[in-house]
Amino acid sequence: MTDVILTSPFFGLTLTAAAWCAGCWLQKKTGLLLCNPLLIAVALIIAVLALLDIPYAAYSAGGDFIKLMLGPVTAVLALNIYNQRAILKEHFLPVLAGCLVGSLTSVGSILALCRLFRVEEALTASLLPKSVTTAIAMGIAESHGGVAGIAAAAVMVAGITGAVFAPLFARVFRITEPVAEGLAIGACSHALGTTRAIEIGSVQGAMSSIAICVCGIITSLLALFL
Amino acid sequence: MNIMAEIAIICGVCLVSEVISALIPAAFPASVIALVLLALLLFAKILKPEHIQRFSAFLVANMAFFFLPSCVGVMEHAPAILRQLAPFLLISFLTTPLVYLATAWAVQWMIRRARRKEGRSRD
Repeated sequence: MTDVILTSPFFGLTLTAAAWCAGCWLQKKTGLLLCNPLLIAVALIIAVLALLDIPYAAYSAGGDFIKLMLGPVTAVLALNIYNQRAILKEHFLPVLAGCLVGSLTSVGSILALCRLFRVEEALTASLLPKSVTTAIAMGIAESHGGVAGIAAAAVMVAGITGAVFAPLFARVFRITEPVAEGLAIGACSHALGTTRAIEIGSVQGAMSSIAICVCGIITSLLALFL
Repeated sequence: MNIMAEIAIICGVCLVSEVISALIPAAFPASVIALVLLALLLFAKILKPEHIQRFSAFLVANMAFFFLPSCVGVMEHAPAILRQLAPFLLISFLTTPLVYLATAWAVQWMIRRARRKEGRSRD
């Protein structure tokens, strides 16, 4: 019977969906930002696999179906941009320049720090796209000899840092323009930071969504030259 | 619009993007090409938002869920991360406020400069 369970794709699908629901439930109960559904669900799935000594391949038989949907998930961010085209048009140049500065700073500072700490090439390639949204970051990491999983982990760390500290950053760095604040949140902490930006204000939320897309595209282009 | 038609449109865009990604010589993620392609179709009014509304809403509302298997995949690489845990965490934490600072200051400076120019031309 165990054989049947471990070879069926339904095992991975069931485990993933159940863990996600548990994560959402815990977030609702506690309201803590660190009880992020994604973090909880990942921890739960890894705990189940490790405790029951289930090989990763048994999980990925089902997990791969979900992974396949990352393409469509990224593609429909286009609708986000389209729905906010009025703000985009009004601040077109600052949006473009800001995202370019943000992407250059991100890639440049990561490269410099990786050289400083003599980090392995595979880890450098995985850290490089850590400021952009997961689907894009994993694609960039893999196409440069990095590991998608490590990139996803770095993206999570950046996202949580931004989501927790975004209001503090604005105070410390004296950022009072809503457009600047929103773009900065999206540029440094993508979708996870955007959840916080939406709480801060509607302009911040809209600009943060745009920054996810524009920085993702700029960083992919920058990565071509590395 | 029929939900299956929405799925056909979005998956079709992804399929075309994979072909484009395979054709161009540089390594460029197909998902980003799909994003750009879909945005172009929307701005060119070839597609209307209601053509992809429901499937998009479902995907965006549950966005983080689709990242779970990739994140679980980290456990396959735990030894590589643990071996360099200090630089991994340090670089991930340090560069985030740095990117925030650079982006926010650049944008704020541009907006204020434009506003000053506007004020002067009105005088």
